[in-house]
Amino acid sequence: MPTVTRFFIRTGLIWFVLALGAALLTELRWLNIPAMRPLYWHMLMVGWITQIIMGVSLWMFPGRSRSDAFKDHLKGWLTFGLLNAGLVLRFISEPVAGPGGSFIWAVLLIVSALLQWLAGAIYILELWPRVQSRKQRLKKRREQ
Amino acid sequence: MPGPSRWMIRISLCYLMLGFTFGMLLLINKAVDIHPAIWILLPLHVETLFWGFIIQFTMGTAYWILPRYLEGAERGRTGLSWAMAGLLNLGILLYLAGTVTTVGTFFLITGRSLELVAVGMFVYLHWGRIATYRNN
Repeated sequence: MPTVTRFFIRTGLIWFVLALGAALLTELRWLNIPAMRPLYWHMLMVGWITQIIMGVSLWMFPGRSRSDAFKDHLKGWLTFGLLNAGLVLRFISEPVAGPGGSFIWAVLLIVSALLQWLAGAIYILELWPRVQSRKQRLKKRREQ
Repeated sequence: MPGPSRWMIRISLCYLMLGFTFGMLLLINKAVDIHPAIWILLPLHVETLFWGFIIQFTMGTAYWILPRYLEGAERGRTGLSWAMAGLLNLGILLYLAGTVTTVGTFFLITGRSLELVAVGMFVYLHWGRIATYRNN
């Protein structure tokens, strides 16, 4: 399993626990953060499920580099960094951004949206050419 | 990777991009209040990412990766798997159309029904493939 996949899965597990912990604390009324519902859903669906799908697919889909060097998994690392940075920024800024909120929180929320979008785009750039039939894979291997 | 898996995974990646774009617009709208009508994107954001990306990606990958039959067609009837992929996507498109049109209810129900039929086909195709060929 490449290092980038291990980072995806371990970070996904952390988001999974954080999401359920936040949901429990909110139910118990020990945590009163505005916009907790969308934050909870995104910690679960982006932080956990999407992150697991991305990490495992980067490992399992054909055409992966045998080397574990950073440069050989650059798109994977960029996806990982941008997705998690975007999610953390969202968690920090969403409760305080919006009408009446400071300008800086609005900017951070916009940056968070752009980072997550960019992570999705880079992930697709990496995975798209690796969605191939056995015949295509063998042909590509012969050409190399 | 078989044809139905390749198509389902590629379509799911398109839905991922679409869903992330809707999500980005919704989040930016929260920050700077572009237009209240942007909230119409919320059900589209949920449907494209949940059914279009997550469910479709996992179904396509499972069809590729689960153990194959030792005799006959290795993944069951190929025609049925193409029908599964087609009905799932038709269902998603109808549901998406239902959330933004005035004839919504008909599209929403038909869309969900087609998704249900596709999931039924998925279960039928994979039930026998959940097996081990290791000698105990």
